Order: sequence, then structure tokens, then C-alpha cells
Amino acid sequence: MATTNVVTGGQYNYDVVRKFTIMTLVWGVVGMLVGVYIASELAYPFLNLDIPYITFGRLRPVHTGAVIFGFGGSALFATSYYIVQRTCQTRLFCSGLASFTFWGWQLIIVLAALGDVLGFSQGREYAEMAWPTDLLIAVVWVSYAVVYIGTVMKRKEPHIYVANWFYLAFILATALLHIFNNLAVPFSLTGSYSLFSGAQDAMTQWWYGHNAVGFFLTAAFLGMMYYFVPKQAGRPIYSYRLSIIHFWALIFLYMWAGTHHLHWTAIPDWTSTLAATFSIMLLLPSWGGMINGIMTLSGAWDKLRTDPIIRFMIVSLSFYGMSTFEGPMMSLKDVNALSHYTDWTIGHVHSGALGWVAMISFGALYHLIPRLWNTRIHSEKLINVHFWLATIGILLYIVPMWISGIMQGLMWRAFDDFGNLQYGFIETVIEMHRYYVFRALGGGVFLLGMVVMCYNMIVTIRSGNTRAAA
Amino acid sequence: MAQQSNNQTTGHVWDDDLQEFTNPLPRWWLWAFYLTIIFSVVYWLMYPAWPLGSSYTKGVNGVNSITYVATTKDGQQVEKTTHWNTRAELMKETNAAAGVQKQWLDQVAATAYGDIAKNPDLMQFVNSAGKTLFADNCAACHQVGGAGHEAGNPQTNQVGFFAPNLADDYWQWGGTYDEISATITGGRTGFMPAKGLAGALTDEQITNVANYVLSLSGEPHDADKAKLGDEIFHNPAEGGCLTCHSADGKGVPSMGGLNLTDKVWQWVDVPGQADAAAKVDVLRAAIIGGFNHVEAMPKWGTRLKPEQIKLLTVYVHDSLGGGK
Repeated sequence: MATTNVVTGGQYNYDVVRKFTIMTLVWGVVGMLVGVYIASELAYPFLNLDIPYITFGRLRPVHTGAVIFGFGGSALFATSYYIVQRTCQTRLFCSGLASFTFWGWQLIIVLAALGDVLGFSQGREYAEMAWPTDLLIAVVWVSYAVVYIGTVMKRKEPHIYVANWFYLAFILATALLHIFNNLAVPFSLTGSYSLFSGAQDAMTQWWYGHNAVGFFLTAAFLGMMYYFVPKQAGRPIYSYRLSIIHFWALIFLYMWAGTHHLHWTAIPDWTSTLAATFSIMLLLPSWGGMINGIMTLSGAWDKLRTDPIIRFMIVSLSFYGMSTFEGPMMSLKDVNALSHYTDWTIGHVHSGALGWVAMISFGALYHLIPRLWNTRIHSEKLINVHFWLATIGILLYIVPMWISGIMQGLMWRAFDDFGNLQYGFIETVIEMHRYYVFRALGGGVFLLGMVVMCYNMIVTIRSGNTRAAA
Repeated sequence: MAQQSNNQTTGHVWDDDLQEFTNPLPRWWLWAFYLTIIFSVVYWLMYPAWPLGSSYTKGVNGVNSITYVATTKDGQQVEKTTHWNTRAELMKETNAAAGVQKQWLDQVAATAYGDIAKNPDLMQFVNSAGKTLFADNCAACHQVGGAGHEAGNPQTNQVGFFAPNLADDYWQWGGTYDEISATITGGRTGFMPAKGLAGALTDEQITNVANYVLSLSGEPHDADKAKLGDEIFHNPAEGGCLTCHSADGKGVPSMGGLNLTDKVWQWVDVPGQADAAAKVDVLRAAIIGGFNHVEAMPKWGTRLKPEQIKLLTVYVHDSLGGGK
């Protein structure tokens, strides 16, 4: 394991990093628990208990909000604040504002969840929050940009490390996406009308939705990867040139691809074609990150046997490679005709979200936490247990979703010899039941791993102290 | 990955030990990237792709065009060839199935109700098409096999989770082909006036009628009160219940009057009550409140084509069973 010197007091602001780190764990458990519950509701609908607040439609955005913005967002705040300070050799710009981003962001997650449960939704995927919450997000996000860019500007290193490019792209793009997607005319404290309508509105939503995946869940986590993988492996990044080329290609191409979420709907055919081709051209730029990560690890294969953190990283890069291959394939018109609206999409999203985003975050957190609290990991064995629970959980989740999705797509389009549709919708639902049970089980196993991690990290944190590192 | 590491770094070091090798782009990566660009250009030549003012590029003429049969407003079949578009693609893909289906549907439309069931081939088509039509339109209430749901919610007197059983021999609105067809086409509104036909039954009279209704299906009841109720039930000036429920209590299908003698309780949960007093209470509540279930059975005449309704009628009458 790479040795890192204990930082002398006061050089860096670790306080805000620690807070975000703890909330990453908290939102991880909350978001995944809600996910397991709604997956169970789909398998056993009585679980909604006839209580409107916990029906699938309301809890689903609570799940996505808590895992993407709560778990993922907190992990990105924590790691970006940590990385930007260490690679710029300078303390965070404006600690007060950094602290504001912490409290503001947590308030946003809570407000979003409350709004979802109480039924106040804009009906925009991953952007359900009502306009007052949207305004708060804009303010917090601009503060984040000020803190981050301010820190980069007062850096003591002549060059900006690659991880920071990715975080910067993520921060700028997310601001742009959030503001344009949520342009609306309010009519009450909780309700508003979108500034766009019809096909334009749908395309704006998926320009946002797709790039939330592209910049929030891909570019930013690549930034995380670019710091923690070489750190943990103790090896230089494989290719500086590849990192530049794939960075620019990725951020240029991603912005065009959103409309592939709307294939075969009432949008102009040419928008659909462009989105498909830009998705195909995204494949290799996406893989650039995987290649750089795996080739960086390739000099340290022996550590795969001894270091469970490296295992998280290599598996996350593998899932990243797989889902960034699967995505462009699903964006082809003909493949999409089968996959659209089916569980295949859900499986795809989760191979990215669990396999890539969560796994790389786990690796980063296991690296980060002992350093933040100036201590050692309580149990390497439990990291290993977490690793296997997470890996098995993901497979139990995505394999049933692939089968269920393809079966669903084939059943919907089947005609019999009389020219009649062969199956009624309800027949497809009945067939999907068993896969839903496995999916909930897979989610449950993944959640169990998360709980094991929390226990391990709580004991680790309690054994540490923040004074020496503060 | 034939490239080997040159072990040269860029010379920059961050955070004690972060460095970067100066390896070139992996060649296979670069060529694969170029390949995706070539693929995209080909894709652009095959499909509508780039906006041009108020129009767009339509792909190379003839490379990926679609020929399909369209039906004009006056019913004429014309063959059309166009550049690739989703609408034409849909038409082409469904043309074949729709063509086969149309022959059978035309045959259903041209055959008299009674003769359809006698034609095994035609019945096979009815069962195949009917299963999906029924599952997608009717099964939400009537269940996949047509078994329906009984016993509504007498307390709230609202359209509850209720739908008649279509597989048994009892028909609230009549079980002939024409009656079933009329039910599907126009929907049905269940109506019972509050407090009898004249709306003037007293509290005591209502209790008596409730006891009489219980007696019709052999439920526990007060015999004396039932006897008084009998008269009220049959007196047009008082209860007037026989108008819809008929003199023998078996119901008048044209009025949608329910059969009160068959122990099937659709809106009032009599079997679910513990004792006679409770059974009287739920019936009293129904008589006091009356029913007005506007289009509890929705009308499908505006949603399904006439030949589809005819096919569903045969499916309900002959395949689910119990038709008259």
C-alpha cells in the first residue's frame, strides 16, 4: 500500500471533507435501502401497504435522489475537496463557503426527498425538485464552483492535475444542465410550468438526464479514479496523452447524445440519428478512462491478491468498460427498438451505478477514511467481505434484468399466425415476477455490503483522531 | 495491447508521488475511435441525420428507403416509397401482420354471431385475438379469465373494486350477443334510487325490506319483518323494487336490476357480515344511499373498432362461457 505522510496540522481543510465522507455513507445506506424496498414493491405490490407516501411512484425519485445526489454527490464533494487541496498544495479557498456547500447540499437532499414523498414533483427525471429547491441547488452549486476554482487558482503547483480537469468539467456542466433544464414559470410555492413544451421539453429533459449521467456519474468519478487508482497502486498514470485526448473527446461528444433516450418517440428522426451516432463515437473516449486506469494498475497485479481496495478499483473499471460499451449499443435504433422501456435499461443503469460509481467510491473511501482520521482500517477482512457482497449483489441484480428486459421486449413485439399480438401486457408482467424477486435480492445483498462497510468505517473512525490531521 | 511502457514520465509530480507516463495513445484505441467515426458517417448516409434550415438530410437516395402500403382516406390501398422514417418503418413492419389479421377480422364481421362459434378456424382466431384484446382492455376489472370481483364497498357507496363475473351463467345486463355488444359499446350505469322508487321509505319500512331481501337468498332474517317487507317490495307506490329486481327477485336484465336470489352479492358485502343484525345494517345502508355508478362499465365504442367489439362479444359469450 502506498504510504502517505501524515499531513501537518492546518495545511488542508479536512473538516468539510470528513463531513461529506460521513454523509456519503449515510445517504448510501438510506438510498440503497429505499431502492431495495421499491424493488420489493415491484415484486410484491402489497408492500406499498396502501399508504400513498410509500408507493413506488413517490419512493422511486427518493431512491434516485438519495443515491445519485446524496451518496454520489457527497462522495464527489468529499473527494474533490480532498484532491484539489492535495494536488494544488494549498488550503481550500474560502472555508466558510465550503461549509455552506455542505449544509446547503444536505438540506437539498432532504427537501427533495420530502417533496417526492409528499407528492410535489416537477415530473422531470432526476430533477423532480420544486423550483425553490432548484434555486437553492443553483446557489450551492455556484458556491461549489467558487470554492473549487478559487482553490485551483491559488495552487502552489505549476500544473493542474488531470483529476481536477474532470471535476472542473463536472462542476461547470452540471451548473449549465441544472439551470437550463429547470427554467420554469412558478405558479405557487411548490409548482411551476416548464419554459419548454412538447418535443423541445422532452429533449431538454434528456439533454439534462443524459449529461447528469455523463458529467455527474462519469466525468466526475473519472476524476476520482484518476487520483485514487495511481495513489493506491503507487504507480504513475499510464498515458498523459490519452488522458488529454479522451477528456476532450468525452466532454465534447457527451453533450450530443441525450436524445437517444427518446428513440422511437414523437421527435424528429434526424435528432434520433445524431444522438445514436454521437453515442457510438463516445465509446472509445469513454474507454480511454478505463484503459488509463487498468494500464495504471497493470504494473501492480500482485496487489490484486493482497489489497482489497485495488480489487474494488479493478472491478469498477471493468463494469465501467462494460456499461460504456452496452450504452452505445443500446443507442442504435434497432437495438433500442427492443430494449426501450424494458428492464434492460434498468439493468444497464445499475451496472453503471453499482458497478462503476459505487465500486470506485468504495475504493476511494477505504483509501480516504484512514487518512482523514489519521488511523488504520479496522478490518481488511471486512473490506474483502464487502467486496464479495457488492460483486455478487450486482450480478444478482443485472443478470435478471437483462433476461427480463429482453424477454419483455420480445413478448411485446410477438405476433401470432393470425396477425394478432401474441401476448397481453399482463402476461409480460406475470413473467417478470421471478426476475423482480432476484433483482430485489441482489439489491439486498449489495445493501448488506454497504452496511458492513459502515460498521467497519465507524469502528475505524472511532479509533482515529482528527487533531493530528486537521 | 502490444504497446509497452516507455517508463518516461512527464516530469510533473503532485502530492508526493502522482506522476504520468508519456506513453502514446494505444494504436488499437485510436483506430477503433476512427472506426466509430466511419460508422457514424455511414449511419448518417442511411438515415435522416443533419438539420438543414427547416429541413434535414434524408440519407442517400435509395440506400435505405422504405416501401409500404398505406390506406388513403377513401379506403384505397396505395404503395409508397420514402426515405427512412419511423412512421414508414412502423407501417412496413405491421403491414404483414395487419394484412393477415384483416382477412380474419373481415370474416368475423361478415359472419352472423351464431355461425362464428360453429367455425373452428374462426373461433381459433377469436380466441387468439380475444385473449389479448380482453387482457389489455377488460382484465383490469374483470380479471384475465373473466372471473371478476364481487362485493363492493357498501360504506362508501362508490365504484369499488368490483366487476361482474363473465364466466358464470348470470348476466346483470343480459347475456345474449346483442346485449353483450350493447354493454361493451355503450358502457353501463348502475342506478338504484335511494329509499325506494318513490324515495319515501321510512326507517321502519327500510328495515323490513332489508329483511325480505335477506330471506330471498336464505340469509338469517326476521320472518315477521320480512313479510311486511315483501309487501313494500312489491307495492309500486312504496318500495317499487320489483320494477328492476322483478317480482320474483331475479332481476330485469334490461334495467340492470340485480338478481337478489342467487347469493351473489356484488355491491353489498352481506356474506362478510358476522350476524343477522350486521347483514341488515349493510343492506339498510344500500337502500338508504341508493347507487349511481355512472359508467362503472365504461363505453368502448369510442375506443375499439366495431369488428373488435364484435370479436370481444363472441369471446365473452362463447369462450369465457355462460352466454345465452
